[in-house]
Amino acid sequence: MRIAFVLGEIGSGLRRNVSMVVSVILVTFVSLTFVGAAGMLQLQINQMKGYWYDKVQVAIFLCSDGSTAAGCATGPVTPEQQDNLQTLLESPAVAQYVNDFQFESKEDAYKHFKEQFSNSPIVDSVTPDQLPSSFRINMKDPEKYQIISETFSSQPGVETVIDQRQLLERLFSAMNAASLVAVSIAGVMIICAILLIATTIRLSAFSRRRETGIMRLVGASKIVIQLPFILEGVIAAVIGAALASGTLWAVAHFFLGEYLSKQYPDTAFISPGQTLILAPALLILGGSLAGISSLLTLRRYLKV
Amino acid sequence: MPVRRLQIWAVSALPCRVIRAMIRFENVTKVYDQTARPALDDVSLEIDRGEFAFLVGASGSGKSTFLRLVLKEDRASSGAVYVAGQNVAKISSWRVPRLRRGIGVVFQDFRLLPQKSVFANVAFAMQVIGKSRSVIRDTVPEVLKTVGLEGKENRLPHELSGGEQQRVAIARAVVNRPGILLADEPTGNLDPTTSMGIMGVLDKINQNGTTVVMATHDDDIVNEMRKRVVELRNGIVIRDEAKALYTSMIPVVGQSRRLRDASGRDESQPPASGERNPGVGEEQR
Ligand SMILES: Nc1ncnc2c1ncn2[C@@H]1O[C@H](COP(=O)(O)OP(=O)(O)OP(=O)(O)O)[C@@H](O)[C@H]1O
Ligand SMILES: [Mg+2]
Repeated sequence: MRIAFVLGEIGSGLRRNVSMVVSVILVTFVSLTFVGAAGMLQLQINQMKGYWYDKVQVAIFLCSDGSTAAGCATGPVTPEQQDNLQTLLESPAVAQYVNDFQFESKEDAYKHFKEQFSNSPIVDSVTPDQLPSSFRINMKDPEKYQIISETFSSQPGVETVIDQRQLLERLFSAMNAASLVAVSIAGVMIICAILLIATTIRLSAFSRRRETGIMRLVGASKIVIQLPFILEGVIAAVIGAALASGTLWAVAHFFLGEYLSKQYPDTAFISPGQTLILAPALLILGGSLAGISSLLTLRRYLKV
Repeated sequence: MPVRRLQIWAVSALPCRVIRAMIRFENVTKVYDQTARPALDDVSLEIDRGEFAFLVGASGSGKSTFLRLVLKEDRASSGAVYVAGQNVAKISSWRVPRLRRGIGVVFQDFRLLPQKSVFANVAFAMQVIGKSRSVIRDTVPEVLKTVGLEGKENRLPHELSGGEQQRVAIARAVVNRPGILLADEPTGNLDPTTSMGIMGVLDKINQNGTTVVMATHDDDIVNEMRKRVVELRNGIVIRDEAKALYTSMIPVVGQSRRLRDASGRDESQPPASGERNPGVGEEQR
């Protein structure tokens, strides 16, 4: 009975303040979308880091068919050239900077490529012989990249030496900056949301002061009096959070999955499914923001 | 009595010994504003179980303040308020609803919910304290009958006269069978005939065992009812008289002095004023 009563009160409260409730939904929706966007950028960074970061710091790509670098004048890398490079890597002069290194054959490269771009259509158009073989070097000190680069760039059979970490870090710092911006916007929007929820609850409490006054007099408990108001805010905020989660999924599905992955086929984008792990966090965040802000408002404006 | 079930004894968990004083004020002072005189000034009085008492006095004399203190809507600045033997200052805030379930309240302005029917207005008081649907279905018509509103269950408040609206408010106040009914000028908006009808309802509720305290300006009603009268002036009890009239038959001497005259206890005599000894109730039924 009491539950039915509370539900009825919530329903009438939501109907009575439709415009305020809609604005709460929209504000929480927008603010949580920004929170979620920051989360998505972090997921994307982790996705990329997860594959590359600690695995490899410097890659020495060897010549393959069609390489045009100076070291590739003799065509694709020969087994002797490869042996020489390995010997050089193991020589004390170089080995002191190297933790360990691995040789990645064309087949290995293809396998990793397929893993990395499982979400991307490019996988189907690539064959193992299009991918170069390489030595993957894990540096003791990533700052010493220059030494490896100078030693190997001019060796026969080497197409190019790339410090992948540096490339990635530039990208990651851009993405981190973007997520910081998103979080700042989200912060401002969340303040808006809290203030708006507080105002809505206050108006709602004011418009129903007659009911709550009677409830108080006949001895309704604090929970029965306050719960409809709190849940009114929480429900609106949770709807906003659900919309935000849906938007993030749609961005991952349509924008990343269908558009960006075609524009940048060689980048591993997060899948729509991965964005769904943000949804519970957004729902809890939205619900608790609304709950706390309504509770504080009611403490001041609804005497019980 | 047709509505035996309205008889409710305890406001809340009572100790085993019978507590006769339903409401007891012990040297209660209420100061709202430090710069003004107290709204209630060292008030001590007892209202017994089953009693009917009028609270009279000029505007601002502290009648509503008295009722608010019983409800724990406000706290006394000093002194102690006991309701059904319980010091209300000692009731923790989460137990206050339980105190209020034992007290029904009626106001001058009815305070009905305009969109709800008569039945729903009365049922509301039961819903919010979690009474089951079937109990509500059984109890509400019974209470509406007590207040004389049979057949008007489905009307909206604006389809009722003022007197009928006040009956709905009384039904709502007593539907949870409180031990005490507080009425703050319940006839303030009604004509004399309608007011007498309301008094009939309150008297009936009182006879069913509910203690009734009514603040009023209405001298006709007080004179007609011949119940206990407690008169306040500037927050001080200047008269407490059984079976009394609105105005005292003897002149009141001084504002701050409690009268020491013996009151006329004989019904054949015209009522006289005098102090009512706290704890000595003479209107036992
Ligand atoms: N909430 C409040 N804050 C400050 N002063 C108050 C408050 N409530 C009442 N007072 C003051 O306390 C005094 C007693 O007021 P109270 O309402 O008890 O009078 P009353 O006897 O009910 O008057 P009336 O017959 O007009 O209803 C008045 O002087 C009033 O101004
Ligand atoms: Mg008053």
